[in-house]
Amino acid sequence: MAHLSIPLPARRSIHFDVSGFNGLIRLLTNRRVQLALLILGPILFLTIFRPYLPLPGPLETNLRAMTKPPSFEHLFGTDRMGRDLLSRTLAGVQISMFVGFAVALLSLTVGLVMGTLAGFFGGVIDRVMMTITDIFLAFPSLLLAIGLVSVMGTGMLPVVLAISLSDVPRFIRLQRSLVLTLRSRAYIDAARTVKASQLWLMSRHIVPNTIAPLLVAASIAAANAILVEAGLSFLGLGIMPPAPSLGNLIRDGQTYLEQAWWISTLPGTVILLIAISLHFLSDGIRQVLDPRSRK
Amino acid sequence: MLTYSLKRLAQLFVTVLGVVTLVFFTMRMIPGDPISAMAGDNLSGAALDQMRGQMGLNDPLLIQYLKYLGHLAVLDFGNTVTTKLPIVGLILGALPVTVSIALGTILLTVLISIPLGTLAAYMAHKGHRMLDNIITGVAMVLDLMPSFWTSLVCLLIFSLTLGWFPASGTVSIDDPGQLLRRVALPVLVLSMAQVATLARITRTSVLEVLSEDYVRTARSMGWSELRVLFRHALKNAALPIVTVIGLSFGNLLNGTVIVEFIFTLPGIGNLLVGGMNSRDYQMVQTLIVFYAMIFVLINFTTDLIYRVFDPRVQF
Repeated sequence: MAHLSIPLPARRSIHFDVSGFNGLIRLLTNRRVQLALLILGPILFLTIFRPYLPLPGPLETNLRAMTKPPSFEHLFGTDRMGRDLLSRTLAGVQISMFVGFAVALLSLTVGLVMGTLAGFFGGVIDRVMMTITDIFLAFPSLLLAIGLVSVMGTGMLPVVLAISLSDVPRFIRLQRSLVLTLRSRAYIDAARTVKASQLWLMSRHIVPNTIAPLLVAASIAAANAILVEAGLSFLGLGIMPPAPSLGNLIRDGQTYLEQAWWISTLPGTVILLIAISLHFLSDGIRQVLDPRSRK
Repeated sequence: MLTYSLKRLAQLFVTVLGVVTLVFFTMRMIPGDPISAMAGDNLSGAALDQMRGQMGLNDPLLIQYLKYLGHLAVLDFGNTVTTKLPIVGLILGALPVTVSIALGTILLTVLISIPLGTLAAYMAHKGHRMLDNIITGVAMVLDLMPSFWTSLVCLLIFSLTLGWFPASGTVSIDDPGQLLRRVALPVLVLSMAQVATLARITRTSVLEVLSEDYVRTARSMGWSELRVLFRHALKNAALPIVTVIGLSFGNLLNGTVIVEFIFTLPGIGNLLVGGMNSRDYQMVQTLIVFYAMIFVLINFTTDLIYRVFDPRVQF
């Protein structure tokens, strides 16, 4: 399973502005971003418009079409209760996407606030925060999630919280290191000489310059969260059936691997495609942000 | 060096204490206690109370915590709630399986990814971008394949279709041949995920070294390309590679839980999942602490190795 590797900030990339129309154009003309959108676009489109597609509902059983291999009628085949697997997979993607987005947003926000405070004020706050992150980073991520789920119970919210809690320390570390490099810059000193307040310095001069690297990290965190959620659900500790999550779809098919290969393998391929495209996306954003990699 | 090691050791101690404390208090936040979960509706209130008393669950939380620390200090992890077996015994019984998976994976990963990464770096250095791109691309896809899915695909191909490896069956260290056959596929699956990271780091660090002066000097002395690559370049690029092997151990531990579950191997990962499913919190708590300790110790050792072997690192 992929692990969350937060990219170290490129030294000069921090001052680069991608907001506005120009940034968008550069992003859209980047080859990796295009490739990512090429894979992710259709998957997202089908997921969003699933209710309007000529597909049976994800929970709809059909006793006359049990364990059917992929055909024109059922593109991904059906499971042992005759439920359409394409429909279930798309419903699973919806959950995955939600988990990925929620985890990325939550850990980015918490990491941003706590990392900025630790990096900007230093001293005791910093030391306490670093000790706490050290403790959280002492757990392998999936195992921390398993432990937290055992306390909070299964379901969507516990899963999102459990995965976020293992990502937050990484975001705090990243944000702290970004703030530390920015804090000693000349333009911050310049702002101090005109009596800028601490709050002004943080919100106007430091935080905006850390957003770009954080976004790169967030898209990797989203991909990672989707994989961890699938792993937890696969172990029976995440999203519980009958709600279809990509992980428990794969778990479902494990028992019938010999008779019905498609139940496990096809949803797994979809996870892989999503993870690959999110990595391409983060790679693309990084390339656009880093002036050194521009030709 | 000594001061540094002691300082790191103190830090390690604080982290481990933090881990234990965090796990202890988090587990106590679970609504209801293990006794009522275990007994269900079959026991009266008085009987439950008596059992709680026996297990020390009626003591104040702080006393329970201190007692727990005391037991941990002498490596007494207590008994499982459901079967009343000593947890230490279970862990020791399961450990050989997990250790053989982990060591096998590290060995296979190193054997594949170091030559592959070095080759990619050499090709990139020589300007053959094609092969370099292929190796890097394949490494990325392998990295992102969820290991539970790869396991199932491998199980489908190698066990069910080709019949090369048994998909189930007993495992014990007394029968190394059987153990090897059962562990082969999980090791293959986990290595596929690890190869990517290690090959990438090998590529980067070898590529960096290849443009150093001493590599040019070695070439000018007429050594063969292979000798320059492996004796001079790889040797100097080895340190980051060793570090990454150490750091990727966390992923490896995550992975062993998944493959042990799929291939029904009686390792500590399966103990953990079993403990979760039977709501045996004592077991889950102990295992999580155990995993964290292994992980922290390995990181600590990696850090020390790095500093012992790199004369450039200042203390």
